[in-house]
Amino acid sequence: MSDTFVYYAQLVVDGLAQGAIYALMAIGFAVIMGSLDLVTFTYGEVVMLGALAGGYYGVAILKLGIWLSLLLGFAAAWLVGMFIDVVCYRRWPGGPPEVWLITTIGISTVLKSGSQVLFSTEQEFVPDVMDGMWEIGDLRVLHIQVLIIGVLFFLSASLWVFLGKTRLGMQLRAVSMDKTAAALLGVRVQRVMTIGNAIGCALGGVAGVLLGAYYNSVFAIMGGVAGIKAFAAAVFGGLTSIPGAALGGLLLGVLENLGVDLFSSGWRDIIGFGVMIIVLLIKPSGLLGRKGAEKI
Amino acid sequence: MISRLVRQERTVFLALLATALLAFPLAFRENNYILRIAINIFLYAILCTSLNMINGYSGQFNIGQAGFYCIGAYTAAILSTRHGIGIWISLPVCGLMASVASLLLGIPTARLKGIFLAMSTLGFSEIIRLIVLNGGEFTRGPMGIPGIPPASLFGWELGTNFHMYYLALLLTALTVLICANVLDSRIGRAWIAIREDELAARAMGIPTVRYKIYNLAFSTFWAGVAGCYYAFLSNFVSADSFHLDEGFVILGMVLVGGLGSIAGPLIGAAILVIIPEIFRFLAEYRLILYGVAILITMHLRPQGICGGGVMDTGDAGSVRDQDEPPDSEPEPATGGDGT
Repeated sequence: MSDTFVYYAQLVVDGLAQGAIYALMAIGFAVIMGSLDLVTFTYGEVVMLGALAGGYYGVAILKLGIWLSLLLGFAAAWLVGMFIDVVCYRRWPGGPPEVWLITTIGISTVLKSGSQVLFSTEQEFVPDVMDGMWEIGDLRVLHIQVLIIGVLFFLSASLWVFLGKTRLGMQLRAVSMDKTAAALLGVRVQRVMTIGNAIGCALGGVAGVLLGAYYNSVFAIMGGVAGIKAFAAAVFGGLTSIPGAALGGLLLGVLENLGVDLFSSGWRDIIGFGVMIIVLLIKPSGLLGRKGAEKI
Repeated sequence: MISRLVRQERTVFLALLATALLAFPLAFRENNYILRIAINIFLYAILCTSLNMINGYSGQFNIGQAGFYCIGAYTAAILSTRHGIGIWISLPVCGLMASVASLLLGIPTARLKGIFLAMSTLGFSEIIRLIVLNGGEFTRGPMGIPGIPPASLFGWELGTNFHMYYLALLLTALTVLICANVLDSRIGRAWIAIREDELAARAMGIPTVRYKIYNLAFSTFWAGVAGCYYAFLSNFVSADSFHLDEGFVILGMVLVGGLGSIAGPLIGAAILVIIPEIFRFLAEYRLILYGVAILITMHLRPQGICGGGVMDTGDAGSVRDQDEPPDSEPEPATGGDGT
């Protein structure tokens, strides 16, 4: 294998691991936005709180180990999701999306500044959850990268089974298709939306823990960029589609890594935003989105 | 008859307000603290008025106004420190720079709505900040640009807060006056038509995409002007002052004051600048306060303190009439919890 090939293959591998985190965030985001038709702006803050709970308190302080920490992140983000539902959505069940946009902007400011005040404004260190790597030829694959991709596959598969096979999952899909019809058939729309929103948030929380563990740091203002990345990845794949969100996340991660190689690491976030704006410009329905979806 | 009385009352009120604002600093000439608060109110009033042109009148949803504010401030800083250009030329130039930059955002996103537009404006604002932060020698990166000379008028230095107060008052009055007049023109009415119903506006022959781009450019002009004023006020600019939070602060003020009214953003700016000053001990909770203010407004009075009924939370098809008292109760949900 030539050196250049290995070099770029390495970039792609790192990008895939990073992209898997984006994919997880984007899947949660797609569940909330695409399926439930809930407009959320505070998703980044949910990711951040998941990272604080699982990554900082779980891994660094309580030393729970990675599996329990992931669970902790999941649970914490679930609770935050329930809270957001009560404050931001429930009052205006049929309201125009602008209202949800505004209320979630409000709560996002509260959550972010709240954690800056209560937690810390500094970057907090998260110790390695697993070190070691495999070497395939000259290619290095870290164990944590495999863990991240594994978690992505496990959670996507679980979500797949949940949506396809369980009663609640079918109700959720029914609500996403037509709320009135679902209500007429006896689905408790409000409850299903609450749970769906909580599931989306919980997936974001897990992604937050992985983000903290992968970059060894957690900080209160990480949510802003995380939220935009989740949105960008979800838009990339076509907001309504969960496989699309996963694909979009992985692609975004790889593109970002290749772009950083081309420019410098300070441009990482600019690349993410740029990809989002270009996708919105060229193909607003995304890679796997439904044609003519009235989202734009 | 009644309308003439109301108009007279309004004139009297405005005259009184103008006198009070003109006389105000004479009483506090030495009190820099009070003057600084007043200046901040004016600065945010300009920013809020500019944002209100978009969110309140053309009904688009921009949350990235901080980016254009940043462009104005950096343009002023670079022009004044490296080319010795004073504030009077800088003000329109900064505004135009912001407008030109807004085309980069406006043209691609003119067809987007709702959260897509909101996220794009947010991303754009953050891109501008990151470019400034990574701009190398040109923007001096994270160090910012210090040493902006104070503003001057015919060789007479406007260095004190007392002078800057009058400059801020002048700019605010100019912004509000021009915005109000533009709103009453053909273009302004077209924006309002777009807000009410974009499809109907297009059917009436309004080129909606072009007018939305005009709207963004017009609005961001004033954000650029505010940025220029800010640069000369603080004599130092750095990318830290233009975080996304700054955009949310501006948005919060407009929402609390009321979208779609001239007075709303001014009142919102005044309230949300003064409250944190009263509760100084809550300084680190300042942004939490803004978030809570947004939530309380949405729960209790979604149209804001003196909003023009833009933000109705009932069903989307309802007629929005400014003369009618806005509904205090949101419409009950349709298709809700199986009721």
